[in-house]
Amino acid sequence: MSQAAIATPAPAVRKVPVLMRGALVPRLITGLSILLVWEIVVRAFAPAYVAKPSTVLLAIPTVITDPAFLQALGATVAAVAEGLAITIVAGTAIGLLMGRSTTVDRMIRVYINGFNAMPMIIVLPLFSLWFGYSGAARIGTIIFAAIFAITMNVADGARSVPREYLEVARSFRSGRWRMLIDIVLPSSMPYLLAGFRLAAGRALIGAVVAEFFLSIGGLGYYILYNSRAYHHNEAFVGVLLLAAFGVSFELLVNWCTRRFMPWYRRDEKTS
Amino acid sequence: MTIAAIRRNAPLWISIGAGVALWEIAGRMSSAAFMVPFSETLVRLWQLITRGEFIAQFFDSAELFLTGFVLALMVGAPLGMLLARVRALRVGIEPYLMTLYATPMVALIPFILSLMGFGFAPKVLVVFLFSVFPVLYNTVEGARSIKPEMIEVAKSFRSSEWSLWREVMLPYTLPYLMTGVRQAIGRALVGMIAAEFFLSSTGLGQLIMGASQDFDTGGVFASIFVIGLIGVGLTRLGLKIEQHFARWRQ
Repeated sequence: MSQAAIATPAPAVRKVPVLMRGALVPRLITGLSILLVWEIVVRAFAPAYVAKPSTVLLAIPTVITDPAFLQALGATVAAVAEGLAITIVAGTAIGLLMGRSTTVDRMIRVYINGFNAMPMIIVLPLFSLWFGYSGAARIGTIIFAAIFAITMNVADGARSVPREYLEVARSFRSGRWRMLIDIVLPSSMPYLLAGFRLAAGRALIGAVVAEFFLSIGGLGYYILYNSRAYHHNEAFVGVLLLAAFGVSFELLVNWCTRRFMPWYRRDEKTS
Repeated sequence: MTIAAIRRNAPLWISIGAGVALWEIAGRMSSAAFMVPFSETLVRLWQLITRGEFIAQFFDSAELFLTGFVLALMVGAPLGMLLARVRALRVGIEPYLMTLYATPMVALIPFILSLMGFGFAPKVLVVFLFSVFPVLYNTVEGARSIKPEMIEVAKSFRSSEWSLWREVMLPYTLPYLMTGVRQAIGRALVGMIAAEFFLSSTGLGQLIMGASQDFDTGGVFASIFVIGLIGVGLTRLGLKIEQHFARWRQ
């Protein structure tokens, strides 16, 4: 009889250790080998002051308790936050107008595109003439670096609002202003977020470049100053922090899109 | 030019004309140290061109831009495809790539300065660092979106590794690579100016810096105007390239 066949256990589920299943292990291995190669190369070939993982790690506690560093960090974060806040409000307003009004779009599109294509840091010499070597020039640079990315994205978003939404709103006698706030703005939110991701990255670059150029206190100047004084390890902690900011903006935008806009699918992820 | 074309382009020309007029009026109304009218900017630009200063600086900058950019392409594209094909490698490296893509590379300039000094090589490195990650990141992104079935079909028809690359990998990742190229053009331009500002001062960056230090507002405006035009031209070129290769993306 085929009793034996029935008794045969189902093919065992291949046992994969929990850690191997994900991407964690290859990632850890890659990360550690990058650090190791860096450490070895610097130890073997570079002068002693050059930053290497072990010394940077040792420098972290002293740097993050250093009041000068905290002050620099605060100055840069405040400037970027202020610049981005202005950028978001102004950029979104202009973008909405551009997206919903053909006249405005025709009037300013060429300038928005043009300024967006400019390498943003060339305005620094001009801003230093206009605002002096001050925080205002830094804010100006941040705004100039960031605003066009938001404006262009919001304009695209406002233009792509489904026609039916607007028609329904209009047939319920909704006013232009209400439609802009209640329909066009929420509907272009994903575009705004995509623009924000670009803008945040550029704002960081703008702040750092402005601090290099204007020699005003901040994270960028902290990096510049310390690396000139051959304190590369301390300076590198600043770079790590900037990288962390860049990555966290990226993650924040991704999280917001998934959390608050589940109806919006990122183009390539649909497959 | 047909009437239809004139009508289509009219708003653009009116808008440009209005902008130039606004610039001219604002320039005339404010002090010369603050802002220079459009006409004077053009005069100053013409002076810079005829004195030969401008042409030399332009080629200096172009050399830097092209060297860094081509290097970034030569490293970024093949490496990106390799990462795409070798899954273990890609999974391992991807988060670091994303980190580097999101890191403001300008922050590395002081280190490059104190390690490599003021030559041509450190500036090329800056342009390279600015532009390599968009290329790499987008190529990997593109390769990741290749449907596994496509590779499986190719494999089940016993296609060799070489033809797999030529017939599947390359055509499929090319549009994404070109998106990377477009982004990289913009970033390389920023890198070029940053390198010229903060490393040894040469090229168009030096043109602006010099004018700014001499309080030559006309020179500053003229340089910004030209660099802006170059930026617009290069961005257009990038978009054209991207669109040309995007045709078989869908």
